[in-house]
Formats: sequence, C-alpha cells, structure tokens
Amino acid sequence: MNRALATAARPVWTPMRLFKVLALLLLLVLVPPFADNPYLTTIFISAVMFGLFGAIYDLMIGYCGLINFGYAGFIAAGAYASALAAFHYGISPWLGLLIGGAAAALLGLFTGLITLRLRGLYLGLTTWFVAEALRFTISNADSYTRGVRGLAVDPFPDLFGISFARGNLLTYYYLLLVLGALIMLAMYLLVRSKAGLAFKAIREDELAAQSLAVDTTRYKLLNFTVASFLTGVLGAYYAHYLGILTPTPEEFGVPRTVEILTIAYVGGRGSLWGALFAAFLLIGFQEYFRELEAWRLVLYGLLLIGIMLFAPKGLAGLRKHFW
Amino acid sequence: MDWSILLDPLILSELVFQGLVRGSMYALMGIGLSLIFGILGIVNFAHGEQFMIGTYCMYFVAAVLGLPFIAGILFAGVVLFFVGMAIERGLVEPLRRRAGRDWLVDSFVLTIGLMVVLQNLAQIVFGTRRRGVTTLLPGSFEIAGITITYERLAIFLTALAVVGLLFLFIRFTALGKAIRATAQHAEAAQTLGIDIARIYTIGFGLGAALAGIAGALLISIFPAFPTVGYQPVLKSFAVVIIGGLGNIPGAIAAGYLLGVVEAYAIFLLSAGWQAVLTPLLIVLVLIFRPQGLFTVQGERP
Repeated sequence: MNRALATAARPVWTPMRLFKVLALLLLLVLVPPFADNPYLTTIFISAVMFGLFGAIYDLMIGYCGLINFGYAGFIAAGAYASALAAFHYGISPWLGLLIGGAAAALLGLFTGLITLRLRGLYLGLTTWFVAEALRFTISNADSYTRGVRGLAVDPFPDLFGISFARGNLLTYYYLLLVLGALIMLAMYLLVRSKAGLAFKAIREDELAAQSLAVDTTRYKLLNFTVASFLTGVLGAYYAHYLGILTPTPEEFGVPRTVEILTIAYVGGRGSLWGALFAAFLLIGFQEYFRELEAWRLVLYGLLLIGIMLFAPKGLAGLRKHFW
Repeated sequence: MDWSILLDPLILSELVFQGLVRGSMYALMGIGLSLIFGILGIVNFAHGEQFMIGTYCMYFVAAVLGLPFIAGILFAGVVLFFVGMAIERGLVEPLRRRAGRDWLVDSFVLTIGLMVVLQNLAQIVFGTRRRGVTTLLPGSFEIAGITITYERLAIFLTALAVVGLLFLFIRFTALGKAIRATAQHAEAAQTLGIDIARIYTIGFGLGAALAGIAGALLISIFPAFPTVGYQPVLKSFAVVIIGGLGNIPGAIAAGYLLGVVEAYAIFLLSAGWQAVLTPLLIVLVLIFRPQGLFTVQGERP
C-alpha cells in the first residue's frame, strides 16, 4: 500500500519525457541569444519571472490551499528592501537578493502567525490589508523611499568579470534562469519531502490531517514563509532589473496580484511547472495584442471565471495529452 | 498641534456625525457581505463593483433623468437585486455543483474574476471620467451649534431605514425565517422543505442590493467611476473582520465604529496615513480578538 502510494506520487522518467524536458530547457536557454532581439529577450524575462511568481503562488494555493491576496505587496517588500539597502547603505545588490528574501519572509511569518491559526479566508483578507498598508507606507514615507516619484535602483555590480550593466539583457536573462532553477529546485525538494505530504494532507482535508496529529498550523506557516522568502528574492531581482520602483497599484497592488493569481490558476493548481507554461502563453498573448488595454484585464478575469467553472485543473489538465 | 481641540464638544460632535454618515455606508456594505457569507459561504470580492454599479444607477436617475434621490436609491436597489440574482444563478450555482471542498477558495477566486471583469468593462463602456452629483438635497440646518446638511441627514436616516426594514424582513417574514434557517444549517433547512437554491439566489440578490444602495446613497462623496468600489470594499471587509465574519449585528456596530474612528483619523492625520490606519486596526483585532469585537460566543474562527 505504502509503496504503491509512493510510486504513484512520483513522476515516471521515461526517455521520451526526459527528452521533452531537455528540449524545452534548451529552447529556454537558446532562443533569446539566437533570436538576438532585445524586445524578445525582455518578453522572455517577463514570462520566466511571472512564471516563477506563479509557481511560487502555486506552492501556496495548490499545495496547501493558502491564498495570498496581497501577493504584490510581498514582491514590493523584497524589491524595496534590496533597493533601499543599496540606495541608503550601499549594500551590494547580490546581498540584496537575500535581504529582499528575508524582508518578505518576515512579512510572511508575521502575517502567517496572526492568521494561519484561524480558519477560512482570514489569510487572504489579511495579506491584502497588510500589502495595502505597506504600499501606502511606501508612498507616504516619501523622504525615505521617494514614494510615487520613483526610487532609482542600481543594476547588479559585475561578478566574476561578467558585466551586469543595464543594457546587458541576456546577462540578466541568464541570471534569472539561474535564480529560477534554484527556486524551482527548492520548491521541488520541499513538495517531495515529508513536509510536502503534510501540505497535501492539509489541502485535501485539514480536519482529518489534524486528527492524524499533523501540526497543520506549523506546516502552513512553513509553506507560507518559504513562499514569501522566494517571492522576496525574486522581488529583489525585479528591482535591480527594472531600475525604478513606484508604489502604484499596477506595479505592486491588486492588478498585479490578479495577474499572478491568473497565471497560477491557468497553469493548474498543484502542478508547479504549469505556471511557467501559462506565463509564456498569457504574456506572449498580451504582447502580441498590445492594443487590448482594458480588454486585457477583462480577459484575465474571464479566464479566471472560466477556469473555476469549467477547467479547475488548468493547463495541467492537458498533461495526459502531451506528457 | 493643540490637543485641547479634541475636547471641544462642537468639534467632537461634528466629527461623530461625520463618522456616522461614513459608518452608514460601511454598515450597509458590511451587512451585504455578511449576508452573502452567512447564507452562501462566499467571501464576495465583487462587492465593490456592485457598489460601483449602484453609483452609476444613481447618476443615471438623479443627473440624467433629474428624478429625486429616493428614486435613485430604489432604482439602484432593484437593479442590483437582479444583477446579484443573475450572478448567483449564472456563476455561483454552477460552481457550487463542482467545487466541493475547495468551495471557500474557489468561490473567492470566482468573485475576484468577476471584480476584474466588471471593473474593466465599466472602464471600456463609461471611460474613467468621474460622474458625480454634487448635491442631492440642498440646504442645511443648525442644531446645538453644529451644522448638519440635509443631505448628510438623509444618508444617515435612509441607511437606518434600510437596516431597520431588513431586520424586520429577516426577523418576521416567512422568507426571512427561511433565510435564517438556511444560514444556520442548509441541509436541515432543505429537509424541512425549504428550497435552498432559491434562498441562495435571493440571498445573493439582497447582499448585492445593499451594496448598490450604499453606492447610490454616497454619490456626493464617491462619484461614479470604474474603480470607485475599491476603497468601500476594502473598508467593508475591515468591518466584517472587526465585527466577526458572518455576524450581521456585529457588522452594523463595526461599520459605525470604523466610520467614527476614520472621521477622527481624517481630522488628525495627513491624507495618506489614514489609509494605513484601517489595516493596522485589522491586524490588532486579529491578534487580540480574532472572533471579532462583537461576537459573544467564545469560539475562535
């Protein structure tokens, strides 16, 4: 019984499947340098970054049923922590990646501590309040964060003789791929561990998990804090890649959260990798139809509703046809 | 700053009255949210967009047709009642048949999708221009030294009347009793012959109507524009957390409380920092009294 469960939970690495994974990875690594088109590279950076945000989101919602409706605020925490450390105290952005992660993890730990012992949607609502409080604090603490005037952020300094000047899009792209590989590996190991089993038990039936002596609050807190940390690291990368931070709703408010939430849901809950495919689809689509403007968000909303009603598994539901 | 002005009875009562006017909106919105949560178990994120449709209804009736404001209130209430029932039948009902255990999160995400769609459709149809009605009822009177405009008084009294009527409806009519039974235990209500699908639809319609009435009432403060619902929905979620999720009397009390606290905050703090105050309040409530300030039973949510 146990063995059957264990094998069912692990993907089978047939040669064909290995080949598909390698082909996709090669495409990811090789398309930007061969296309040699800065516009395409920025789209690839956006797609990979949002795909990673979506995957981290999926770690919370798909594996533990935790909804973070202030997600953009957690990105802001990471981005601003690293940017402010560099701006005011001259701390290297390389260290800033960890500072951003730590700032967001602290925010996650705090929000988690006060809400995760409660049932229902307290987490979703409170993260939203906390994120909005953070965003308004950033715009109000004008003298420290430069508020809505925008905070200029330095690029990463050179490392091992590689130049990270802002124009070097490909360097930034490969840095993102390295960060992304580490983030995906960390999440993969986490969901394959004993903690991962506890996450799934909580998602399936929290009460039953509790009655089997799973300390649900502790595991939820672990999941949420780890996800917040990874979000903060990526947020710090975002700050130094983008070069300017402003606390607008589009950048760090509800619209941004909805974008990432949609990517996670379109990718398919509990799939981790699905979000990356969804991000390429959605971001590619919106870049192709630039004149959409307000229709773009209508489309995101309709997608969310459609996924909820007709395709709860998202793209991951197509897996049996292509995988 | 000279803190003694806080003790000035004139300013004190002026601020309390301002707070009660704001609180009227929060109470109406909060009751709507609590009603929908209590009956259907949905945390309705599109509540602010129902408020927004209410503001457009009022603009249409008062500014375009030039009818008195009471007609606008009725119109907004009726329109939103049907909009709410349509949402329940068209979107919520199909989801209920599918979602099962994931209901709470899935229905929340469904309403997020609905919020995004309604907000951006409004932007496409109406544009971002703010359409306000500056004064619904001109004139004012003075009582014990403080000036009260007729309009503010009308907002306050209308909200009280709506809350009162709703209370009577839920307490004494057969339909109201069926609603309470469904909210308490849906399966048991069903075995007693209550058509719970119908109650769900009516419940969502009622909640939406309350949001629409709130939007229509407050048009002089919140003019009609696509994202007008954002602040009201943020505040009304604060109200239901402070009052206790699903607790209607709690939502009323918390609504007026938050209104008065905010009136003081506006007076004392600069504009930007008030926006930080409500979230802080929520965090404090969640740390010290997560079941809400006005919940009598000791059970933790």
